[in-house]
Amino acid sequence: MRRFTWFWMVFGAAIQLASTQAASLLLKQGIVHTAAGPVLTNASVFSRDGRIVAVGSDIQEAADATIELNGAHVFPGLIATLSILGLVEIEAVRATVDSVEVGSYTPDVFAWLSVNPDSELIPVARANGYTHAQVTPHGGVLSGHSGVVALNGWTIEDMVVLRSSGMHLFWPSFGIDTTPRDRAANKDQWKSVEDQIKERDRKIREITGFFDDGEAYARAKGAADATSFRTVPAWEGLLPVLRGEVPLFLHADEYRQIQSAIDWVAARKYRAVLAGGRDAWRLTSLLSTNSIPVAFEHVFTLPVRDIDPYDVHFSAPGILVKAGVRVAVSGSQERFDAFNIRNLPYAAAQAMAFGLSREDALKGLTLEPARLLGLGDRLGSIEVGKEASMFIADGDILDIRTQVKRMWIAGKEVPLASKHTRLYERYRARPKP
Amino acid sequence: MRRWRQQFHSWIIQQALGLTLMASAHAADLAAPGFRPGAPGVHALVGARIFLKPGTLLERGTIVFRDGWITDVGPDVRPPSDARVWDVTGHIIYPGFFDPYLALPTATGARPEGTSLDSSSSGASKDIPESGAAVAASGGYRFFGVSGQERDPGGAGPGYANADVIPEFRMAARYTPDAKLIDGMRELGFTGAQVVPSKGVIRGQSAVVVFGDGGPNESILRAQSAQHIAFSVSGGDNAFPNSLMGTIALVRQSFLDARDYANRNSSSTSGVPKQLPRYNAALEALQTTLSGNPRQTVVFDPESPLMVERAGAVAREIGLTFQVVASGQEWRRPEIAKATAASFIVPIAFPAPPKLPDDASWESISLDQLRSWDWAAENPAVLRQNGVEIALTTHALGERKDFRKNLRAALDRGFSETDALAALTLVPARLCGVEAQLGSIETGKLANLTVCDSKGYFDPEGVVRSVWVQGRLFDVAGESTGKTNVASGGKSTNTTDTAEAKAEKEKAETKKKEARERSKKRLARQPWAGRGPSATPPAVLIQNAVIWTSAEAGILTNASLLVVNGTIRSVGTVPTGSLPDGTVVLDMPGIHISPGILDCHSHSMILGGVNEGTLPSSAMVRIGDVVNSETETIHQQLAGGLTVANLLHGSANPIGGQNCVIKLREGLGPEGLKFLNAPPGIKFALGENVKQANWGDKFTTRFPQSRMGVPTFYKNRFTAAQQYAAAQQRASAGGPPVRQDLELDALVEILQGKRLIHCHSYRQDEILAFLRTMESFGVRVATLQHILEGYKVADEIAKHGAGASAFADWWGYKFEVVDAIPYAGALMHERGVQVSINSDSSDHARRLNLEAAKAVKYGAVPQAEALKFVTINPAKQLQVDRWVGSLEPGKDADFVLWSGSPLDSSSVCLQTWIEGRKYFDRTLEADRARALAEERTALIAKAKAIAGGSGGATASDKAREAFFRKTWEQASHLGVQQCLDCQYPQRR
Repeated sequence: MRRFTWFWMVFGAAIQLASTQAASLLLKQGIVHTAAGPVLTNASVFSRDGRIVAVGSDIQEAADATIELNGAHVFPGLIATLSILGLVEIEAVRATVDSVEVGSYTPDVFAWLSVNPDSELIPVARANGYTHAQVTPHGGVLSGHSGVVALNGWTIEDMVVLRSSGMHLFWPSFGIDTTPRDRAANKDQWKSVEDQIKERDRKIREITGFFDDGEAYARAKGAADATSFRTVPAWEGLLPVLRGEVPLFLHADEYRQIQSAIDWVAARKYRAVLAGGRDAWRLTSLLSTNSIPVAFEHVFTLPVRDIDPYDVHFSAPGILVKAGVRVAVSGSQERFDAFNIRNLPYAAAQAMAFGLSREDALKGLTLEPARLLGLGDRLGSIEVGKEASMFIADGDILDIRTQVKRMWIAGKEVPLASKHTRLYERYRARPKP
Repeated sequence: MRRWRQQFHSWIIQQALGLTLMASAHAADLAAPGFRPGAPGVHALVGARIFLKPGTLLERGTIVFRDGWITDVGPDVRPPSDARVWDVTGHIIYPGFFDPYLALPTATGARPEGTSLDSSSSGASKDIPESGAAVAASGGYRFFGVSGQERDPGGAGPGYANADVIPEFRMAARYTPDAKLIDGMRELGFTGAQVVPSKGVIRGQSAVVVFGDGGPNESILRAQSAQHIAFSVSGGDNAFPNSLMGTIALVRQSFLDARDYANRNSSSTSGVPKQLPRYNAALEALQTTLSGNPRQTVVFDPESPLMVERAGAVAREIGLTFQVVASGQEWRRPEIAKATAASFIVPIAFPAPPKLPDDASWESISLDQLRSWDWAAENPAVLRQNGVEIALTTHALGERKDFRKNLRAALDRGFSETDALAALTLVPARLCGVEAQLGSIETGKLANLTVCDSKGYFDPEGVVRSVWVQGRLFDVAGESTGKTNVASGGKSTNTTDTAEAKAEKEKAETKKKEARERSKKRLARQPWAGRGPSATPPAVLIQNAVIWTSAEAGILTNASLLVVNGTIRSVGTVPTGSLPDGTVVLDMPGIHISPGILDCHSHSMILGGVNEGTLPSSAMVRIGDVVNSETETIHQQLAGGLTVANLLHGSANPIGGQNCVIKLREGLGPEGLKFLNAPPGIKFALGENVKQANWGDKFTTRFPQSRMGVPTFYKNRFTAAQQYAAAQQRASAGGPPVRQDLELDALVEILQGKRLIHCHSYRQDEILAFLRTMESFGVRVATLQHILEGYKVADEIAKHGAGASAFADWWGYKFEVVDAIPYAGALMHERGVQVSINSDSSDHARRLNLEAAKAVKYGAVPQAEALKFVTINPAKQLQVDRWVGSLEPGKDADFVLWSGSPLDSSSVCLQTWIEGRKYFDRTLEADRARALAEERTALIAKAKAIAGGSGGATASDKAREAFFRKTWEQASHLGVQQCLDCQYPQRR
C-alpha cells in the first residue's frame, strides 16, 4: 500500500512536468517493438496522461497530438541496470566523482541523492534511447542503496523514480594471488595461499555476522519488551533488504565467488540479483534453481581463462537465457560505464550475434532491467497500463547505424540534443580558414 | 714426443696461473710446528670405472695425480711408489663437475638512491646540475627533472652514465669462498664454477673458481672469464630503463659508446682537433668484448624464451662472441634457440605442482602454468634435439638439493646420460675457457674428479662419495646419504628394522616409482597446438559474395574473389581460363567479404611494458624488440577480422619509442609477425600524459610539466638532431668522429622523412602547436592518434597532410577529453582529413568493424567510406596501402568473411585470411576450446596425483613456488582490456 501511494506521488510530479505537453499522444503506423511480445508492424501506440492506453493496428481515438511514423520504429525506453550516471562527470578529476564512499558497511547511503541533474552525460545516454538508470553506490563491502532515476528533470526529486531499488553487496574475491614472495611488489603484505583463503572466509563470516546483527535489530524494533532499543540509521538502512522490499545485488564475477554468494543468499532467502556475473554461464542450474536473475556486465570482457573460447562472454547471455535465467545486459558501477551507457545496445547485439534471440536481447535492455528493479509493472515494455517512456528510431536500436529520433519519458517529450550534438553543429559550421 | 708436449702444456698452464700454484708446491707448503702437516701431494686412484670424458668409459683404470695435476691415467697404469694409493674398486669417477653460472650477490649499491632531483624532495626549484659538457656527454639519459640516472659521486667512482651498466665490476676482485655454498656444491659433485655477478643490466665480469679449501687467491682459476648481460628490468618508477625494450636499448647504446670510446682515444689524425681526454671505467671494460684477442665472451641472460632471439640479434648486431642462459622455457619455441646458433647454459629448476589447500583452488590454475610445469623437465632434451650445445647449471634452483632429482627427471624425458655428462664437464669447461684444465680426465689437466658409488651419478639412488679438487680430497658422502634417507622416508625417521617398517618402506618405494613413471609421460601439448593457419591452399576462389573492396569499385554484389599464391588475382567477375591446380572454390551466397582490418593503434602484443616512460625522450627504444608472438590476444583479434596492427609505445613521454607494424600471422615467432614492408615509425605524445598530470604528486619535476613546454622540448630535440646529423656529415668528410646516439638516430630519420610520427594528441591548441613545430623542421606528421579535438582544427590538419587515427566515441575519462565527440571522425572526413578508427585496446581490436559503423551513426558517413576507416585509410596512414587495406588485384590476400554486413552489429566474423592462408575459422573454434579444456583437466589430474603422492612430498617449497613464476610471455598473457589511454590512474 505504501509503495502504491508513493508511486502516484512521483508519477504526479511527472505529469506536472509534462503539463506543457499534449495530454494524449498517438504514434501512428510504425513498427512497434513491445519487448513484452512480438514485434508489431503497422501498429500504433496511444498514450494519455503519461500512460499507454492502447497498442494495436486499429486505434480510432483522436489524440491531442499525432505523429505519423511512416514505418519508423518504436521502442520502450532503455534502462541502465547498474550505472553511476550523474554521479561522476570526469573520472580522472576527483572533484567530480561522487560514486564511491568510504567504510565497509554503509547501508544508510543513498545514491540518488548525489545525481547531478545537469550532468553532460545524461543527455548523451538519452540520445541513444535511455530513459532510466539505476544509480549505484560503490565502495566497501555493503555500499548502500541504489535508486532509479528518469533521465530528465529539473531536480533530483523530479527525476527519482525509486529512492531505493536495491542494496549492493560486493562479495569477497575468490581469486588467489599466487605471486611468490620474492616476486611480490610489497613483500610485507604478501600472504600465503592458505592465509588468503583464511582471510576470505573471515570476510564472509563478517558479512554473515553483519546480517545476523541486522536481523536482531529488526526483531528488536518490533518487540514490545525491547526496552533498550535505539534507532540506528545504518540498521534502518538494511531493513528493506531484510523485509524483502528491495533486492540484494550480489556483486560477483568469479566462478567460486558466485557459487559462494548464491549459496549464502539462498540460505538466507533474501531477494537477490547477481550483478557482474562473468562466470555465471558455468553456473546456470544454480541460478535457475534459485530463480536469481543476472545483471550481466561482461559481454565485452576479454576471456579470462586460457582455455576459454574467444567468444566466451559474447555467448554467455544466450547460454544463461536458454537455461532459464533472466538476464539484463548491463554496464557496471565502475569506470567507463557512465559515459558508455549509450553503447550497451551493442553489447546486447553482440550477445545476439552469438546466440541470444533478438527478443531476449531487447528484453535484456528494457523489460528485464525493469523487472529486476521492481518496476516491471511500470516500465520496460510497450503495453497498456505502462508508462509512456519510449522512443522513435529509424531502425533497430540494436544496430549501430540506427538514429534515435524522438523520445518521451512518462508521456513528456524530452530533447535528444547533447553537448556532443551542440559541438558537432558548432564546428560543422566553422568557416573554412 | 707426446709426453713432452703434455709436460710443456702443463708448464705453460703453470706459467699462466702464475705464482699461486708454484708456491703451493714449494717452501710455503711446509707448515709451521703445531699445524697439521700437509698431506703428500701424490695420489693414485685404483680400480674404478672411469669416464675419461663424456662417452669414453674406461671399465677399470688408474688415475695418478701429483701436486694437483693429473700425470697419468689408463687401464695399465701402475701407481708410482711415492703415491698414496686409494682402492676405489666399484666406484665410478667422472671429470669434476663444473657449473658455468653460479650467480653471487653483487655487493655495494651500483644504483644510487636519489639525487638532487629525488622525486620525494619538494618542488622543482632545488639545485639542478646545469648543462655543459657533463650533461651533453651523459649518453642521452640526462634530462631535466629525471632522477636516478647519475652514479653516486661518493661511491661508485667513474663509470657509465646509467647505473645499470657496470661492466667494470669484476667478480674476481670481490670473490671470497663461501664455505657453506661450496660444501653444498661439492655434495652435488661440483668441483668448480664460473661465479657471475647478479645485478644490473650489463653486470660485469665473472671469474672461474675451484671449490678447494684455499683462500680467494688459490681459488680463482681465471679472473675475467666473461662479461654478463641480463635483460632484467630493475629500474624503479623514475629510473631508466623500466621496460624490457628500454633495457635492450641500453645494452645497444652502451656498446656503441664503447666503440666510440675506443675511436676517440685512437683518433689522432693530423689536422683534426683533439678531443678532451675522458676516462670511463665501464667503457674501458667493454673493450675486450669488442676487440680483445681472443674477444671476451659475453653471456646473455634474456630471462624469457622470446628474448633469447633478441639476445642473439643484439649480440650479432654488436659483433659479440656470446652464450645464452636458457630461461627454462625454450620448449615454447625451440626453433628460436636453434636459430640463435649459440651455446646455452641451461638451468634445471623445474616447478613442482602446488599444494593447494582445497580442491576449488585449482580453479585458479591456468593451462599455461600446467604446461610450463609439465614441459619443464623436457627442456634440456628439446634443446639437444635441436642441435643446441648445452651446459647445465644449478642456477635458478630454489633449493640446490633439487639438482640431481631434476637431472633425473630430465633424463627420464629423453636427455641422454652422455649429453648430461658433457653438460656437466667438458661443455661448461669449454664455455668458460678452462677446457685446458678442466672438463675431462687426462694427463695435464687439473685433478678435479667427482667420485660416485657403483650406481653412478644419474641413478637417483647413486651417492656422491667424494670430490677431488686440484688433487685434494673432499669427502661428501656421509652427510648426504643420511639426508637422503630422511627425506625419502618421510615421517618414519626412526624406523627400526621391523617387518612392518620394511613393508612401509617398500610401499613408499612403490609410490615413488609410480610418481616417477607418471612424471615421465608428458601430457601437455605444444603451446602452438591449434594455432596457425588451418588451410593454406595454393589458390582460393570465392563466389557469389558481397565484396566490400574499400577501393574505387565500392561494394560488389554477387561477386567473386580469386586468390593465387597469397595474392589477389581478381575481384568482381569470375575469371575466364583455368584455375590453378588445387584451387579451393567456395560458394558464399549472402556472405560479405571485407579487406583484412587494420588497427592503427595497438598495445596488445608487447612484452615487458609498453612505456619507457622514465625519460621525456625514449626514441631509442623499439617495440620491434619486444613483440609477443605467444599471447592469446592474437587469436582473439583474428577472430574479429583484424589482420594488421600498429604496435605502439605508450604515451608517457613527448617522444616515445619506435613502433612495429605486424601482421597477425598467428603461430609464427616475433620475427615472423613483422610486416617488413611497413616503413618505420615512432610514437609521440602530447597533453596530460606527457606532462604527468595524472601520475600523482610525486611526479612534478620532469620537463615538460605544461603544454607550453612540450613544443619547447621538441624544438630542443630536433635541433640536437640537426646538429648531430651535421656533425655526422662532417665526420664522413674526415671530421672528428661522432658518438653514435640511438635517440638522435631515430630523430634524424624523422627529419629525413624515413620515420613516421604517430602522435597521441587531444586538444586543438596542442595539435596546432605540434603541427607548426614539426613544420618548422620540415617534417610532415603521419598520423595524429586519438585526436579527440581534431574536429575543431580539421582544416589545419588536412592542410598539413596528417592522417587522423581516432577513437570512435571515447570520452569522459579525463579532463582533456571534455570536448570529445563521436562526430569527430565524420567532421574530419568531411573536411578532407584521412580518418581511421583505432582500438588502443585488446577488446576493441576484436570489433573495429563495429567501431567504424559508429561513423555512419554519428555524422552519416556513407557505409563503404565508413569501412575504409578501418581498412584502406589506416593502410594509407601506415604507408602500407600498396600491399593491404583494399581488395584489389596484386595486393596481399588479407580478407575477412562475415555472416552479414561488416557494419551490422549482429554479423559474425566467420573466417580471417592473411596472404591466402586461413588463420581463423569459426567452425573450428568449439573443437579448439574443447581440446584445451581436456588438456587442462588431464594435467590437473596429473598434478594432483603428483602433489598428493610421495613424488610431491619430496618437492621443495621453492619448486612449488616456481610453479607460479612467470616469464614475460606469461605475465602479459591477456593484454589490455580498456583503451590504454583510459587506464586511469595507472601510468601509461
